[in-house]
Amino acid sequence: MMKKVLFAFSLLLLFAPMALAIPQPQAEVEMMVSSVLDVLQQEKLSLEEKKAQVSGKVQEFLNVSSMSQRTLGAHWQGATNEQRQRFSELFVKVLEGTYLNRIGDYTDGEVQYLKQRVKGDKAIIDTKIVTGEMSIPVQYKMIYVNERWQVFDVIIEGVSLIRNYRASYGEIIRKEGYEGLFALMEQKVIAMQGTAGE
Amino acid sequence: MLRKNDKKTGAVRVLAAVLLVLSLTVSSLWAADKGGVKTQVIPAGQINDQFDADFADDFDNEFDDAGDVEEILISDPLEPLNRGFFWFNDKLYFYLMKPVARGYRLILPQSARIAVGNAFYNVATPVRAANDVMQFKFKSLATELYRFIVNSTVGLGGLFDPAAKLAGVEKVDDEDFGQTLGYYGTGHGFYLVLPVIGPSSARDAVGSLVDTFADPIRYANITTLEYYGVKSFRVVNSLSLDRDTYEGIVRDSLDPYLFVRAAYAQRRTAQIGKVDYNLYDILTFEDDFWDEDFNPFKWLGN
Repeated sequence: MMKKVLFAFSLLLLFAPMALAIPQPQAEVEMMVSSVLDVLQQEKLSLEEKKAQVSGKVQEFLNVSSMSQRTLGAHWQGATNEQRQRFSELFVKVLEGTYLNRIGDYTDGEVQYLKQRVKGDKAIIDTKIVTGEMSIPVQYKMIYVNERWQVFDVIIEGVSLIRNYRASYGEIIRKEGYEGLFALMEQKVIAMQGTAGE
Repeated sequence: MLRKNDKKTGAVRVLAAVLLVLSLTVSSLWAADKGGVKTQVIPAGQINDQFDADFADDFDNEFDDAGDVEEILISDPLEPLNRGFFWFNDKLYFYLMKPVARGYRLILPQSARIAVGNAFYNVATPVRAANDVMQFKFKSLATELYRFIVNSTVGLGGLFDPAAKLAGVEKVDDEDFGQTLGYYGTGHGFYLVLPVIGPSSARDAVGSLVDTFADPIRYANITTLEYYGVKSFRVVNSLSLDRDTYEGIVRDSLDPYLFVRAAYAQRRTAQIGKVDYNLYDILTFEDDFWDEDFNPFKWLGN
């Protein structure tokens, strides 16, 4: 009897962490999305103020190193540590700028959480942004690192953002080298900051 | 830790612990349930085609040298020409189509423009339905037909969508002949930017041409000029509802041409999905096919 109880207990101990981990990946996405929407839906703030407040909020939910590595893909291996570092820093700025520029367009949208799938340290969260005239499927891919779930790719209507970046950046590196890519990224970051008030 | 005379209290403690863990587990599951979201937990080692295909992004290969291979989403032998047409379309967009769409936006309220969009979508049902048939997607076919009948009548010629709003029969994924070709194993071919029309591929350009034969507007009693007028009107209407997607791409990407090309290739691949009937595999005799089935020595057990 005792043995059975102990056995059941150990089984539970074994599975409990897994069960406890279930709601987390989607909860992280929800936290990320709502932390942004909360700011954007405040009518008193100007767009500039909104962007200033949202800026930096998303970063903690993203696994920047994994995103950078995936984006450079084959070219990550060939890059020096310095180049990797430089790329990561610029890439975060480009991502943030892109996100901030686009998110303003969908503030009236409602985000529906459809499904979450967890397999070991990987998770896929299916969501949908619904606005008056359309609905856009958005999928988040997450990994479990440093004891939390972090997003490393967003797939909008079947288009993986990281894959898109990888294809474009790879071609730019091939034609113009790392320095060419960095120069373009720097220009873009400056241009994005210039249009931040629009 | 447990002494023999303590067996009972020990068991009680264990039970209490079990209950605690159970209640934690249950409450966490309940928390997940509360949001009404489907949760699927797949054991780490198990093969799950859907999950693995969705995850697809070489995460497992991160530490082997699969990263050395550059991923080409779509080949682009005509890049200089394509870039020329891309430039042309960009100017056409910013200097003609978009201003017209903005003016049109002022004339017609959004709800009316959505209704116009619905009507165009409804009229194009035969194109989608024909491709559903060719891909054996009979549930989609039935949905298209139901929606077409209901929306054409109750929905006043497709201006409204009572099939979804009242009966709850939502749109299904669009099908076109490019996707049908893809369904039978045809790849993109190569990337094409068509003047005025925009991003396409060798396969999808053929597909669009074939699809026009199922397009009722083609058979309407109108002149060619009027036909292109109707087509342009559809584009202007959908642009008037668009939220500056292209502007965003131009503003945010290092090279809009590359970004659009990658997005087009990925989107089309996603729309086609899994290829069930690869005719190219079926029609070409693979080496192992000969080896395994027509090798008499194998029949004899070698």
